[in-house]
Amino acid sequence: MSTVTKKDCNVSINGKAVSVPEGMVILEACNQNEVPVSNLCYNRKLKPFAACRTCMVETVVDGKKELVYSCTQPVCDGMEVNTGTEETDRYNKACLEMLLVEHPLDCPICDKSGVCPLQDNTDLLQLFDGRFEIQRRNEPSIKTNPIIEFYLNRCIMCGLCVRACDETQGVQALDYHKRGMSVSIGTANDEPLDCEFCGQCITVCPTGALMDMTSQARGLAAMFTETHTTCNYCSWGCTFKLESKKGQVVRIEADESYNVGINEGNLCAKGRLGHGIIHNDQRIEAPLMNVGGTHKEVTWEEALKAIADRMETTVNRSGPDSLAGIGSEKLTNEENYLFQKLFRSLLGSNQVTNLVNLRAPYLNQFTLNCFENGIESQPITKLQEADVVLIFNSDLPSEYPVGGNSIRFGTVFTNTDILIANPRKVVFDSNAQVDVRMTYKHGSDLAVASRLARIIIDNKLVDTGKAQSAIPNYKDWVQSLASYTAKTVEQTTGLPDDVLTRAAERFARDADRFVIIGNDVLDTGHGEETLNALLNLCTLVQHGSTGSVSVYPPREHCNSQGVNDMGCTPEFLPGYQSTKDSAALKKFTAEWGTCSLSDTNLATDLLQNCISGAVKFLYIAGEDPVQSYYKPQLVKEALRTVPFLVVTDVFMTDTARMADLVLPSSTFAEKEGSYTNMSRHVQRVAPAVLPQGVSKPDFDILIELAEALGKPFQNTDITTVQQEIANVTPAYKGVFPGNKSVQWKPDSTNVKPNFHINADSTGQNGNAEGFTLQTNNHMFHIGSYTQYSKALVEIGPECVAELHPEDAKDLGIATGDQIVVESSSGKVEVKVKTSKVTSRGMLYIPKNWTGVPVTALRNGEEGLINVKISKSG
Amino acid sequence: METNETATATEDTEQEEINLAPAEEIIKNLPDNSRSHLIPTLQKIQVAYRYLPPPAMELLSEFLNITRAEIYGVISFYPVLLTTEPGKYIIKLCYGTACFVKGAPIIGDKMHERYHMRPGDTDPTKLFTLQTASCLGNCGAAPMAIIGDDTYGNIDPEKTLDILGEYTLGDAETPETEEATA
Repeated sequence: MSTVTKKDCNVSINGKAVSVPEGMVILEACNQNEVPVSNLCYNRKLKPFAACRTCMVETVVDGKKELVYSCTQPVCDGMEVNTGTEETDRYNKACLEMLLVEHPLDCPICDKSGVCPLQDNTDLLQLFDGRFEIQRRNEPSIKTNPIIEFYLNRCIMCGLCVRACDETQGVQALDYHKRGMSVSIGTANDEPLDCEFCGQCITVCPTGALMDMTSQARGLAAMFTETHTTCNYCSWGCTFKLESKKGQVVRIEADESYNVGINEGNLCAKGRLGHGIIHNDQRIEAPLMNVGGTHKEVTWEEALKAIADRMETTVNRSGPDSLAGIGSEKLTNEENYLFQKLFRSLLGSNQVTNLVNLRAPYLNQFTLNCFENGIESQPITKLQEADVVLIFNSDLPSEYPVGGNSIRFGTVFTNTDILIANPRKVVFDSNAQVDVRMTYKHGSDLAVASRLARIIIDNKLVDTGKAQSAIPNYKDWVQSLASYTAKTVEQTTGLPDDVLTRAAERFARDADRFVIIGNDVLDTGHGEETLNALLNLCTLVQHGSTGSVSVYPPREHCNSQGVNDMGCTPEFLPGYQSTKDSAALKKFTAEWGTCSLSDTNLATDLLQNCISGAVKFLYIAGEDPVQSYYKPQLVKEALRTVPFLVVTDVFMTDTARMADLVLPSSTFAEKEGSYTNMSRHVQRVAPAVLPQGVSKPDFDILIELAEALGKPFQNTDITTVQQEIANVTPAYKGVFPGNKSVQWKPDSTNVKPNFHINADSTGQNGNAEGFTLQTNNHMFHIGSYTQYSKALVEIGPECVAELHPEDAKDLGIATGDQIVVESSSGKVEVKVKTSKVTSRGMLYIPKNWTGVPVTALRNGEEGLINVKISKSG
Repeated sequence: METNETATATEDTEQEEINLAPAEEIIKNLPDNSRSHLIPTLQKIQVAYRYLPPPAMELLSEFLNITRAEIYGVISFYPVLLTTEPGKYIIKLCYGTACFVKGAPIIGDKMHERYHMRPGDTDPTKLFTLQTASCLGNCGAAPMAIIGDDTYGNIDPEKTLDILGEYTLGDAETPETEEATA
């Protein structure tokens, strides 16, 4: 229930009756009804601006004719709109004609050629000869910025880049310089750009004045082959176009068309510039076998036979459960499905897991608990119509940048309230009228979440009676919140109670509410409890008020959701059907032929079981736990001990180096399938180019491995495997996408609301001495692949820690210094800069550089990590 | 020789730490952080430093919560706001119609010949900064110019350099700051 309700207006466009929401501008109404209107400065994601003056239409209201600019004039009931009349064309043409006086006609070498709104409009208005003398500008191109080239001769001063940078990205790195005749676009003091490099300015530019310098080709973009696919970095799941030419991916472009993907044509730096991993000479070139300590190239046949033989002998000697596998958060659903099927059906082992489940098995439970409590969560596309968004411990511009774009859109068009709870003063600029910042003491997440619920109950901000009658253990839960008084919470969190009260009031009002939870919650040592507290908070408003609540589990990589959906966990078969559920097992046996699983569970404590010798064979598909898992020492020991290790990956990671057999797999651009994003949208991955060298998609590797085992899979292509998944996984029935993605829905008949009471309700980490360490993904890097993308390394070349300026002063450290960071279990050296974003007493280090292995500082410890900082040298 | 001198001069200015105290003081005295204070504050900072030093703009950007791009967007609109340190004397050469026909371009050329500066530039020794004005409102005395605080009318273009020659860097009697605050 949005608090903004809009009624519909009946309008006629060129004689055709249509119904459009009140307040919509005429141009948008025309666009949605596929009536072309010339325009250059309009974008539906931005506020109306009216710079280009080429979108004039004729309106008739109550018999009165008017000529109006359609990008600013809203529709009204009974309005008659006529486009492209002789009169409007005359005006529109005149304005376009003047723009063309200065615009160079270097179309053959322009990145926009063929997909150029200026060309399209010239064509639409049939403007084939101008009356004015041509006076082209001839300024040199500005190439001092990383990634983005400014060729301002082509600029028509529509202002789209300036507005997108401000309204969509909240960065404002671009602005108009001078005004009037000499107006231009520029950066602060003409210095090189130092921004988020999202490239939204390139997307919206209608003329090719701003260009992507990472593109391998110049000109005639219309001749590129476009492949719509899903980004393979974070879990937001943006759709973009992989543009290829002569079998090479040349660039990534956003698609702003209606109903394409969940991202409305928004992209971030990683998505747009991360194509450097596709054609890369550092990729693994051939299957490698470890012979006496060195990796030797072998053929696929040899490699697959070696694996199959080893699998068979291990099953025969030590039983099926001595074979284990780690599925991947970066593999497609189909690949992960086959992966667990290989283990469960062909080998008879239930020992499959994935890294996120290994670390936080409670995340899947959280998703299921949400469903049980009646919180289905809306599609993420509705985020931009939210009334209130709670961003909990997530540095949105780094973690889910495109999520930030949707929320900013909401603050402009729906008046979304923003509530940000974070231990750092994260930067998030928007147009929000209500923007509550809860900057709490590091590690007190649980107290914040619990206090919010307690305030709602104490101040009766929702109908507590209704909630009580809907949820059986309401009283017990309220009792468990007794310790969260204003005073104790203020002591724990450092937050004054009135800030939390204001947030609670905004959250509890009748509204469409969205909760985005950051992956940092897992590092607090109270991940499960905090998620429970947030779920309880959501359940309370869901059942005690009207409106809706949508809450999404923290997910990190492109298919962190899908790998769990596909059953790469010891607890669940695909679709969260319990491995103990005999009816489900029967269904899988019918589909697969064989599926008899023992009750042995070695996968939950996989690493320890590798070390103890219970696991004799480990298959890691496309993951690098040595770098990314929070227990690096244990991982190394486990991988050293396990008798046979198979790793498939695109690049030679630290994990792959330890393997007995390394198989070169393909990148997302070379394979077909689907990813499921954190909001459960199943989205298509499509191949744009052939796999590099002899690399194969994991899908093919698994199919061939089954053949090598002498037990080939029945279904061996994507479509039939998808059908098979739909057969055995009720939630995935009918969700495999065409161009439009679908969010999979839970079985909604199973609503049994229940508060999840935390046993340890104090929720405090012991008082930290020295500095506490905060780590998460950098804005330009995620996972192990982005470091191979040249463009992303160019804008994010080195790991830089952040320290509050006051703390730095006390330690005698200045920006640019090298510091030594020491925890009880490890030591790293890193460059530092001062920043007021990072709170006092905290050290922030992004976790994506192999040279600064922050996981070594944690080394398996849960909760906050205390570190000592000293100046290096 | 001359190029060598210029190089040392730029090096010196790069090494020179800008004293941010005056800017901090100006910003501290603002009643609140409303963006309507932007232009008056830019003017005050310019009076204190004779130009707008980038570190001061950073402070202002932080305090008023306006991005640097936007601040420089505003600065670029006003020719009076300078982003680089001007020469000791600012020359305002009138390029109005009357002055123009009476030889202002010749004066400009002479200045370029001797001091290597075009309108908008500062000469390499940092003695002069040349600006042009659309009209200084004294057409009867065309061509005219204002150099520092002194007004010159009916300039004989041929004698431009004689006038400018009277100004030297070593003129200790009118220190920069006094001149600026006067």
